[in-house]
Amino acid sequence: MGVDAIFSSFAAALHYESIAVILGGVLLGYVVGVIPGLNRAVAIAIAIPLTFYMSAYAAIAFLIGLSKGTAAGSAVSAILLNTPGEPSSAATCLDGYPMANAGKPRKALKVGLLASVIGDLLATLLLIAVAIPFASVALKFGPYELAAILIFALVFIAGMAGGSFLKGLAAGGMGVILGTVGMDPETGAMRLTFGYAELMEGVPILPLVIGTLALAEMFVQLDEYRRNKGGSVIKLGREADDDLSWQEFKGTLPTIFKSTGVGAFVGALPGLGPSVGAFMAYGLAKRTDKDPDSFGKGNPKGIAAAEASDNAVIPASYIPLFGLGIPGSVSAALLVGAFMIHGIQVGPLMLRDHPEMLFTLFSGMIVASVLMLAVGWYGLRLFAKVTSVPPHIVIPVVIFLCLAGIQVQGYGTFGLVTVFAFAIFGYFLKKFDYSFVTFLVAFIVTPMLEMNLRQSVILSGGDIAILLDRPIALTFVIFTALLVLHLTWSAYRQWLDKRLKAPTA
Amino acid sequence: MIRKNFWSGLGVAAVAALLLAWVVPTWGGRGFAVGMQPRTLATLGAWVMLICALLLSLVSAVALMRARQPFAARPDLLGLWHQFWPFVYVLAFIVAIDRLPLTWVAPALIAGLLLILGERRWLVLLLTSTIPTGCLYVLTAHLMRIGVV
Repeated sequence: MGVDAIFSSFAAALHYESIAVILGGVLLGYVVGVIPGLNRAVAIAIAIPLTFYMSAYAAIAFLIGLSKGTAAGSAVSAILLNTPGEPSSAATCLDGYPMANAGKPRKALKVGLLASVIGDLLATLLLIAVAIPFASVALKFGPYELAAILIFALVFIAGMAGGSFLKGLAAGGMGVILGTVGMDPETGAMRLTFGYAELMEGVPILPLVIGTLALAEMFVQLDEYRRNKGGSVIKLGREADDDLSWQEFKGTLPTIFKSTGVGAFVGALPGLGPSVGAFMAYGLAKRTDKDPDSFGKGNPKGIAAAEASDNAVIPASYIPLFGLGIPGSVSAALLVGAFMIHGIQVGPLMLRDHPEMLFTLFSGMIVASVLMLAVGWYGLRLFAKVTSVPPHIVIPVVIFLCLAGIQVQGYGTFGLVTVFAFAIFGYFLKKFDYSFVTFLVAFIVTPMLEMNLRQSVILSGGDIAILLDRPIALTFVIFTALLVLHLTWSAYRQWLDKRLKAPTA
Repeated sequence: MIRKNFWSGLGVAAVAALLLAWVVPTWGGRGFAVGMQPRTLATLGAWVMLICALLLSLVSAVALMRARQPFAARPDLLGLWHQFWPFVYVLAFIVAIDRLPLTWVAPALIAGLLLILGERRWLVLLLTSTIPTGCLYVLTAHLMRIGVV
């Protein structure tokens, strides 16, 4: 792909229609991020039906804009309400709320916004720099390598996604089973369809994500609403000393750069997610600061660290997605769903089959980062007001949107029943703390895993010794075995520690 | 959490056992395959579920016994009811949507839930229930031209 093509991709991303779509996504994402209780996954799940009538590029650009907007917007409620719009903004509360409480809400919001935009922009540039060479190498992989990498990624996500490793693996098993539903591509046999023709092409992704992510989340929110009512919002004033000066911002820049590095590293590893990145960056900023005691009491570096890292995780989590076709987070998995709906296989093949699309998307991501700054800067007061929308108004409207999304797409009774069944399933996953990301990623990658496993079995004739001739595949098989041993050993050590501490407690 | 892990582990193990014993063999598909059988991956997934869930239950059971905690606790009935009614509420409206267009049913769905959650301001009730419904009507009937859903 030549330089001209890259320029034309940028020109396409800078077309006013493209900017309007991305702006719509960023704006909607900001509003969703600002409202506590609504998160990125809920927003993307509900927004996917809206993108059916868009072109593939517009749809994905809209969803990426939405994803970026929620990450930046969630800082507003964390700072003004002490309630993070996203779990990953919990680290922002630590210094954001004390700073706002001390009469500097505007300053806190601006530090958060600038850190978000810089973190996001730098991580997007990293994604562009890394994903393409990554994908070029991945294109040379055969079925053995891809199958080994996919299994490694699933085990890695199960172990790193938080909570119990056993529960993570069990959730992965559930995802694999649901991923096999539908017509078997080799034999044409119907699998787990129970005679329903609607399941012939597999479990429809839209009712699955709306049910497990959005509707189930609203059921959880309804349960939590009766326990936590109220909460006071800090109002934005117009005091001159509440404005961010260049000197103050300059002081936070080294923290922003360091935290972006942390966020990008965490994001590139599948399964860890933005919460881990934000808290790791916050911890690092605190440890390396000259005055660590000021953290937690309204230090702007605390806000900068958490926000830069939180926002850097999202573009970085697309590195395994575009490079290898492995979604490393819930939002990346949802993007795969959106790509599938538009008939595009995301991953290294995109570089070969749709290079213009890939470059236009990357350009669109940079445009989204810039729009994030404009939207956040000029909409500060408006978004501060949105923070006061009470959850008892949000919940019924989101439930309505979930059902509307299914009806608009014409899924009918089958879709409504499916969405309800998956809402129950998602509710139990959340309540019993089974890794949702492992489940969703397993569901998404199962067709690819099965195809590669099947090809490997056919090519090798079932002889496992073939791995000795495939060093990359063998390396990943060994890594997977070591990872399982390491995670089992860590879990055992934790259990042992708890046992030893128990009598003294 | 330990007790929850114990019971959720048992539940998942029971589902996995059902999958392995009946669902996958009956509905997992069959046919001549050169490489993998159609049901192989589903069977593997079910085995992973079963082994992990049984281990989880076992570890939790040991932890419960060491902590001298009972395996079952009396459920908080009020808490259970608060977790249960939203499902019934939404299910009732799904049944209604199956018979009537969502656009007709939606104001009642939204306003009813708002009332249950304690909203009494009629203007808020009116606007919150009619604006999203109106948007759905405009979207489906005029923009997408698929009729009233």
